[in-house]
Amino acid sequence: MTEPTSADDLAARPFDELVGELQRIVQALEAGNLPLEESIARYKDALRLHAAAEARLRDAELTISQLGRGLDAATEEAEPGEGGS
Amino acid sequence: MTTDSDQATLWEAPSPAPRILRVTDLNRRVRALLDGDPALADVWVEGEVSQPSYPPSGHCFFTLKDAASQVKAVLFREELARATIRPEHGMQVICHGKVRAYEPQGTYQVYVESITPAGAGDLHQQYEALRARLAAEGLFEAGRKRALPRWPRRIGVVTSPVGVVWRDIGNVLRRRYPIGELVLSPSIVQGPTAAGAIVRALERLVAEQGVDLVILARGGGSLEDLWSFNDERVVRAVVASPVPVVVGVGHESDVTLADFAADLRAPTPSAAAEQAVPDLAQFPAILDRLRDRASAALVGRLADRRGFLSQEGRALGRLLPDTSAARQRAAELLDRGHRALGGRTARERATLTGLADGLRALSPVATLERGYAVARLGDGSIVRDPRQVSVGDGLEVVVARGTLSTRVETTSEGNEELLR
Repeated sequence: MTEPTSADDLAARPFDELVGELQRIVQALEAGNLPLEESIARYKDALRLHAAAEARLRDAELTISQLGRGLDAATEEAEPGEGGS
Repeated sequence: MTTDSDQATLWEAPSPAPRILRVTDLNRRVRALLDGDPALADVWVEGEVSQPSYPPSGHCFFTLKDAASQVKAVLFREELARATIRPEHGMQVICHGKVRAYEPQGTYQVYVESITPAGAGDLHQQYEALRARLAAEGLFEAGRKRALPRWPRRIGVVTSPVGVVWRDIGNVLRRRYPIGELVLSPSIVQGPTAAGAIVRALERLVAEQGVDLVILARGGGSLEDLWSFNDERVVRAVVASPVPVVVGVGHESDVTLADFAADLRAPTPSAAAEQAVPDLAQFPAILDRLRDRASAALVGRLADRRGFLSQEGRALGRLLPDTSAARQRAAELLDRGHRALGGRTARERATLTGLADGLRALSPVATLERGYAVARLGDGSIVRDPRQVSVGDGLEVVVARGTLSTRVETTSEGNEELLR
């Protein structure tokens, strides 16, 4: 199991990894066979992961880019058939 | 007079020596001229087949003509094998291909990529013939279809940069999956050159951008408008894509051959965008629920009724002020929260968030974070009374972020120290 270490580390990790890690911790905690101190440490990890994932959702903004406007795009004609405006 | 002066110029001040080309150079130059014209790289031409020949090479050479003109044409063995018809003298056909010069003979000809009967061969017949042929080749088989990545990081889109389709896809992704990255590879999506443009846009996308998934989309239109999505080259490009392709073309009822080849066929462009990604709108609730389960698991770990808890656990539990009532309330809220999650209304989520905050306050971690500490003897027992220890005894003190090894110097009863 990878250890979430610093906030920077968490910020750099993909969202699905944060959620997956959180799920694994919850399952480990629910299994109830970790030593107490380990449970507490894992619980703190869970809170950090939760906060990181929540922040990611809150701040996410879709990145949009377009490949170079080559010949294909330059010769684009209006397409009335598409009903675009 | 003019003749005289022309003669004089010609003889007295000759122009620089003309550049003399070799035949090869001339033909090469003409060929380069033809190669440089994009319109000639993708032509549709209708005419009558004349004098086809089928030499042992397996290719087919013929002349294509109308009332006034004629042009040479060649249909190579591979294309001939894929064609739905075999050119015969007098047959009216539509050829699709490119025009190139043939240097050794100083001629130019049509290199035919596909040939279909003109007139009689309406679009529907062509569609059915091609569909049957590609299906026979196995291109549409379910076994070929790849699963989409569950969490795509970069999503490529091939569509027209103008019009509503690209905007709709952006809107859907912005709403459902803002953590993603969207890359548009623009292409024209109708007209005779669209198929080639779509293929190039697809290839450019997967070659340059390292996307995990491609959406190929176009808005609704007539059968002719959507025709490039029935083009064999587009179908093959979809099949050849190294990453899964979601195709959303036209409306629900429009099924193009590209749809058959897609790893996932969506009824419309917007639906393609929706099916390409998970909906993150559900995730705040999912995350909160996970956190609450973690809290509940930890509280459960500390609860007396579990019976198997370590001594430390119970002692830590006792450090919490007034825990029994709060814990019972937390348990009730948790039960309610779990039931409420089924409905996922905003009110229920708010309750759950409140619950999770409560649980967090209950955890011994939070207590330790507030500055409390737990002192333990060597045998692990928790010290609650100075009379449990003697001066010189070793003590382990657990604080929020670690453990200290200490030794008792003095003891005194009462806890005025803390209040001072």
